[in-house]
Amino acid sequence: MRTPKTLLKKSLVALVLFFLGALAAYFLPLLVPASGASAWVHHPLLPIFVMTLIFVVAHKAIERLIKKLLEKYFFHKKTYAQMTLMDLAGDLAVNLDLQEIANLVVNTFGEVLHLKTVALLVPDPLQNNFEVASAYGWRISASKKIRLAVDTPLLKMIHQTGPHILMRGPVLQSLSWQEANALACDLDALQAGWVIPLFVKGELEGILAFGALVPDTVFDQSDFHFFREFAAVIGPCLHNALVVKRLRQLNFELQDSQSQWVQKTKLNAIEKLAAGIAHEIHNPLAIISGKAQVLLMQKGPKQLEPNVQEALNTIVKQTRRAADITRKLLLYSQGSRGPQEWVSLEKVLDETLALLAYQASLDKIEITRNLDPELPRYHANIQEIREIFLNLLLNAVEAVGSEGKIVVEMKYLREEGLLEITCSDTGKGIPADHLDKVFNPFYTTRHEAVGLGLFVTQQITHRYGGSIRVESQVGIGSLFTLQLPCSPETARSGEAEKRVVEGVSGRGGQ
Amino acid sequence: MIKKLLIVDDEAEICEFLKSFFEDRDFKVATAHNGIAALEQVERFQPDVVLLDIQMPGMDGLQTLKKMKDTHPKLKVIMVTAVETQEKIEEAMRLGADNYITKPLSLEYLEKDVQDKIDSLAKIS
Repeated sequence: MRTPKTLLKKSLVALVLFFLGALAAYFLPLLVPASGASAWVHHPLLPIFVMTLIFVVAHKAIERLIKKLLEKYFFHKKTYAQMTLMDLAGDLAVNLDLQEIANLVVNTFGEVLHLKTVALLVPDPLQNNFEVASAYGWRISASKKIRLAVDTPLLKMIHQTGPHILMRGPVLQSLSWQEANALACDLDALQAGWVIPLFVKGELEGILAFGALVPDTVFDQSDFHFFREFAAVIGPCLHNALVVKRLRQLNFELQDSQSQWVQKTKLNAIEKLAAGIAHEIHNPLAIISGKAQVLLMQKGPKQLEPNVQEALNTIVKQTRRAADITRKLLLYSQGSRGPQEWVSLEKVLDETLALLAYQASLDKIEITRNLDPELPRYHANIQEIREIFLNLLLNAVEAVGSEGKIVVEMKYLREEGLLEITCSDTGKGIPADHLDKVFNPFYTTRHEAVGLGLFVTQQITHRYGGSIRVESQVGIGSLFTLQLPCSPETARSGEAEKRVVEGVSGRGGQ
Repeated sequence: MIKKLLIVDDEAEICEFLKSFFEDRDFKVATAHNGIAALEQVERFQPDVVLLDIQMPGMDGLQTLKKMKDTHPKLKVIMVTAVETQEKIEEAMRLGADNYITKPLSLEYLEKDVQDKIDSLAKIS
């Protein structure tokens, strides 16, 4: 390649040689004793002869020297690369985001050293293995699959050799063929020719594995010196980012368990209260209602006036309602679960919609359903699923009041293993400062309502390990999103088990 | 034929009220306020049907039910519940309860159910 670099090199070599020759030709006569005996010293061809001699003898050596000097100070790729990487290390020191650090490290490392692949692995304390935080030269899907358990040959090797850089060739040669084979598998999986372990205070905080574009790439002593320095700089950055990540995780978990605990305490209190109330109140209610019923059942001459009859009917009805509230509250706070079966969500939704259709049509509310065609069956208690749909829809109908739209959607998110039920309405919406209260027991904005619908829905959802959240804007409407975990054990394709759901029967008596 | 009914409830008011209701309908009625008294009444009074409250201090309705059914398998027992979990109700049914009703009671339903039990007994004998 005739680049300016080559040209510069050649001319520099020529210049230096000429200078050396001229120097020799000039000083040669001075070295010879000045007695007139040696007239050949002054022969005009002598300087040319000496210069040619020096050209021939010193050319190779000078050229090598010039090349070395030139590469060192101007064109040495590796030196240049090392400078870039040290700059990068400086940038990393002020960054605390693990993902950003990992991306920067692998991309810069890969580009600057012209590598084929680079992967940075970080420990995942939950899974007790190492996962790829970021990769260069990999398809993301392929790199995400790589996980190194703590007992894989490569990790065992790293823990044995400590912070030394592993080179595929020499390491494999030093092992017995079985061990070498096992280790080669790990290295192949990472497409790695070199592995730099990143130790911080004796803890392995990361592994930088990379492979070269050209198969027989050789790094020399100065490269390894640089790798070690680089590792010493990014190691602590990675360590800090990992600590921050773990702290965030722990903080999140703490908040989560705290709110769960608060919720649980609340529920326990409600349960005790409800159980007490139920027992104490149901007896008087039974007597009140009973006496009214006795009066109503009187026949013959003692027939009651219509208005008295109506009053008595109201007494009976209202005592029943009061009893229902405490019963419902107690049952849900106790978390009692009825029998489970394979439920067709679509069927349950349609039954619920049928219940509400009349009311909705009176209020000019348009209800649309939008279902995933491949909705699986769900293993659950059908009453509870019914309760979920009923509460969400009743809530939406109440929120809309009159004239508006409700859209119910059900989706099966295969990848996440979730069933998602959303219910949106064009109702009056919920003020932002009330959003976190809508799931509280007895929260209601309606005078005639008890405020247990959404609470119960949330309780059921939690019982199935799901989540429910609400987004709302006053005057525009609300969106409830409910997600239920749907693993192969809790979901079945619609084809199987068609017969199960048909025979649903409730037992009870009055 | 004399129709004999035993009403078991720890709340005296309930017992009294149900007693007068069923006496008006030509039943012979005895009452008991706890499980032990109920078992004694079963021996002495020999009822056809028992209305048995589940939640009672001491021996509760389920234990009482089990003892009653052990000694008098033909006795008809209707459980009366305030707020019981599905499990408790299922246990009662497993122990041989003939039905269960929840408070507040629907008297119409209760009367019909008690009558049904008596009729079924009459058929057997």
